[in-house]
Amino acid sequence: MNKNLLLLFFIVLISFSIFNSTFAQDVNNAKDTITNVEKATTETKHELPHTAMVIPFVVLLIMIATGPILYSHFWEHHYPKVSVFLGAIVVFYYSFFLHDTHSLMHTLTEYFSFIALLSSLFFASGGIMIKVDKKATPLLNVAILFFGAVIANIIGTTGASMLLIRPFIKVNHDRVRPYLIIFFIFIVSNIGGALTPIGDPPLFLGFLRGIDFFWFIEHIWYIWFPTIALILLVFYFIDSRNKDSKSGKEYSGKIEFKGAKNLIYLAIILVAVFIDPNVMSWVPDLSPFPIGIREIIQFSVVFLAIKTSDNEILKYNEFNADPIKEVAYLFIGIFATMIPALQLISHEANILGDKLTVGMFFWSTGLLSGVLDNAPTYLNFLSAALGKFGFDINVAADVKEFMNTGYIFLQAISVGAVFFGSLTYIGNGPNFMVKSIVERAGIEMPSFFAYVYKYSLPILIPIFALIWLVFYF
Amino acid sequence: MKSIKEVLNENITGLYFGNRVLLPFKAEILKVVIGTNIITDFSKNLDGASVRVTDFYTEIYFYEYENLEEELSEYEVIKLIAVQQGEDVFNFDNHIPIELAIESKHKLLIKPIPDDLLFFE
Repeated sequence: MNKNLLLLFFIVLISFSIFNSTFAQDVNNAKDTITNVEKATTETKHELPHTAMVIPFVVLLIMIATGPILYSHFWEHHYPKVSVFLGAIVVFYYSFFLHDTHSLMHTLTEYFSFIALLSSLFFASGGIMIKVDKKATPLLNVAILFFGAVIANIIGTTGASMLLIRPFIKVNHDRVRPYLIIFFIFIVSNIGGALTPIGDPPLFLGFLRGIDFFWFIEHIWYIWFPTIALILLVFYFIDSRNKDSKSGKEYSGKIEFKGAKNLIYLAIILVAVFIDPNVMSWVPDLSPFPIGIREIIQFSVVFLAIKTSDNEILKYNEFNADPIKEVAYLFIGIFATMIPALQLISHEANILGDKLTVGMFFWSTGLLSGVLDNAPTYLNFLSAALGKFGFDINVAADVKEFMNTGYIFLQAISVGAVFFGSLTYIGNGPNFMVKSIVERAGIEMPSFFAYVYKYSLPILIPIFALIWLVFYF
Repeated sequence: MKSIKEVLNENITGLYFGNRVLLPFKAEILKVVIGTNIITDFSKNLDGASVRVTDFYTEIYFYEYENLEEELSEYEVIKLIAVQQGEDVFNFDNHIPIELAIESKHKLLIKPIPDDLLFFE
């Protein structure tokens, strides 16, 4: 049923696009217009969406935040329909009222890129098993978390979380406490992945819009490193007080690794990220087809990983595709409903101009990333920051110029979106995946609000305030 | 009536029908993990699950699921901690971690939880 729903949505979306591009070319009569271009060379003016069209986006984000907590039974069974329905409202409006199919196709292309990367990382890392037979010590835990932070930039926060959460729990078998998992979410599932577009979904969306791959590591490492160090210091202090380990058990000290072919899949996914006509000129541009060579490769890896991953490893990992299915459905709605929000924010930022400071961007992007999903929040604020400089987020050339002229804003937004994603369970996709894996192991995790008041507020907010004082005040 | 240990050693299977599992031994169930749902409250007034021990089997009803077959993926199992009825429930050595795997035709595989599988009492 859900697969049919998904298929129907894409068929309708593509049909609308074809219909409109054929029969509705001459709509240019609006007072307020925004520039909405596919290539810097071809400009098409489109009417601004009505403010009310932000409602589906707001409704969807509120439901994502409250559904799993307040009406979990309804949400578990109906979230795909809710997401697709809200997205369809915006698609219908853009197709038949604004006749702006370009924005829809652009968004569809972006969605496929996004989900191709996430799903391929998810399926490839699901077929890898790491066993660590060592005695847990605070220092070993710090080393695992730091290692996770580093590899999150190579295989994504999703991949790193999937790969390391089980060995991390296993190592701490005799002394498992919720704080261990929470710090894992802080560092491996979020903050660690701030250095490359592969690291965290918001940065990948920025990369798709035209930000250079290595811009992030060049401009964020000197904030990343002290932040990780500070959080690890707090972790070390807390973990040193955990003396619950049972004595007597002997450890071989061995680290066992299985699933080497899935490492090859991960390498293919990473190489594929660069196979883009904007990065390598020889790569054919398949537009108007909404997926490119990169996505074809990454979806092929999904297929290969499903077909060839070792059953024993999948059983060990208790592999379940539900988390990525959830992300796929929710982001259909998020990507579609955020189109008007992005355009309106960009327009407003043009008007507000100088009133918006870099500190405002840091806190607004951050706090909203914590309570909403950080990927769409990042795009909204990137759009606003570009608008402040008179640039358009849909124009790759504008984004590239903004990387230099407005680098401090881009840095604040990137840091805010990635770091603050760790504020709540819903701030970033892997947070929920980790929670789910841990609960499947029988470990009770703190509630949504306990996570915030016991861990995020006392640990993260002071550190983020320090970042703000040093870099953006 | 077989004991839990005999059932595990002899690979005797149980049954499942919809949201109900039948285990061929008499046991006190202390904790069940199904998906992300950690169930420790087996009182019949609440959501979650209830346990009934008869002379011939122990049955568990999972209220929040209509059909266990649809809820669990190929690689997922139900995990539980059981104590043989009549044995000292307060002695941790008597707590037996068990996994239940859904097979076709209502067959339920009952195995000890392997060391590899993450499970915390």
